[in-house]
Amino acid sequence: MKNIYEVQAANRTKSAVVVVGFFVFFALVVWVLSSAMGYYFGYEPGGLGMVGIALILSGLMSLGGYYYSDKIVLSISNAKPADRSEHFDFYTSAENLAMAAGIPKPKLYVIDDSAPNAFATGRNPDKAVVVATTGLLQKLDRTELEGVIAHELTHIKNYDTRLMAVVAVLVGTVALLADWFFRVSYFGGGRRSRDKESGGLAALFIVLGIVFAILSPIIAQLIQLAISRRREFMADAGSVAITRQPSGLMSALEKISSDHEPLEAANKATAHLYIANPFKDKIGGAVGSFAKLFNTHPPVEERISELQKMM
Amino acid sequence: MPLLIIPVLVLIGVAVWVVMQYNFFVSTKARVKAAVQEIGNQLKRQADLIPNLEESAKGYLKHEKGIFKDLAEARKTIASAVKSGDVQKMSDAGSMVSALIPNIQAVFESNPEIKGSEVVGKLMDELRDTADKVMYSRRLVIDLTADYNVRRVSFPSNLVASMFGMGELAGIATPQSGEHVEVGTSDLKTPKVKLE
Repeated sequence: MKNIYEVQAANRTKSAVVVVGFFVFFALVVWVLSSAMGYYFGYEPGGLGMVGIALILSGLMSLGGYYYSDKIVLSISNAKPADRSEHFDFYTSAENLAMAAGIPKPKLYVIDDSAPNAFATGRNPDKAVVVATTGLLQKLDRTELEGVIAHELTHIKNYDTRLMAVVAVLVGTVALLADWFFRVSYFGGGRRSRDKESGGLAALFIVLGIVFAILSPIIAQLIQLAISRRREFMADAGSVAITRQPSGLMSALEKISSDHEPLEAANKATAHLYIANPFKDKIGGAVGSFAKLFNTHPPVEERISELQKMM
Repeated sequence: MPLLIIPVLVLIGVAVWVVMQYNFFVSTKARVKAAVQEIGNQLKRQADLIPNLEESAKGYLKHEKGIFKDLAEARKTIASAVKSGDVQKMSDAGSMVSALIPNIQAVFESNPEIKGSEVVGKLMDELRDTADKVMYSRRLVIDLTADYNVRRVSFPSNLVASMFGMGELAGIATPQSGEHVEVGTSDLKTPKVKLE
């Protein structure tokens, strides 16, 4: 039995550990790959230059997605602005919960899709957008809807879009570096022999570089998914902190997960934004626990049992 | 000289942290003040809104209510007339009912669907929303003052708080003892809902 403050504190710590772990991992990969590339070039700072280029390239690729996240997602999912009288519960409870969370009321949109789901995006609370499907608005009562909206508002309050954008840039950088490492090793072989003194070290770095180039893109993605799952737990706890009714979010999650209709508007790029995994792939057993590593969301049962602790 | 850099950096770090703590305290104070004003704002909205909602719902319901009242009256008159066995009374009651029929028709023609339940449902939605708004505006004051007061007493931020004389915030004034923290025998009974 834990109270909501303890849960939130524990969540914050775990999330910080995962995020810091990710940055440490990133620094390690950068160091190994850039040194290994430096040995190939026969000029060590050269590798670091590659890191800079990779960062800038990856940043540019993600920048548009981050800066216009609200507009892009809305145009992909074909969402319409919510209307106070037509979507009364959605509109008014978002208004109320935003007040309780101490953030401005986000822009509200509705997607015409019978699969119940919701997501939030936008780079800061002023630009935030909360989107719900018509299926969600029909199937949930007001208390359940409040749980879902408060979850989304917590994502907004925690700047999760920003965090995931930064993480995505770094994951992209790692992927680029690993790719370039393989290309460089085709062409840059000639100069190695000149540097006889650090020959052993160079060999070590090159072997390490090959291992890192193979594994690090996968590991980076796994950590990215772990961060995403951690932030879901944080948003669940934050939702309870606002509504003080875990039962609402619990029964909402049950309703959402028991509905097996896939969401048409969702795609891989927007999956981590939703309240529950929009693809609904459920695999049990040992394969399931391995497959869990590749999910953007923790399993609903796990989230519900976490929420039960706060009752 | 490089050895001197370390204490200087630490000092700068501490100074930055103190400034952050100080800013937290003063900005939270300001936000609590704004949140308290928000409660007043929501109460004002409620005071303006509810009587108007009530009036418009009443207006909708009035003609329906009138008809039901007339019908009940007519039924009572018929029942008493039948009981008394007086022919004159029975025929009076009959004409009373037939006089009602055009009224009923008028109501049903102007509202093909009787809107009563919808109007009451809408009123209930608005009432719940208004109550929620007041409740959530209070929640923000409670949360902000809790954050402030926790930071004020916990180490090491309490040092900054006492350095700048940051007092405790009251939040929503609630007596710490009294009926609301006690469970009386009347609270142990399941509430009964009566609809009359």
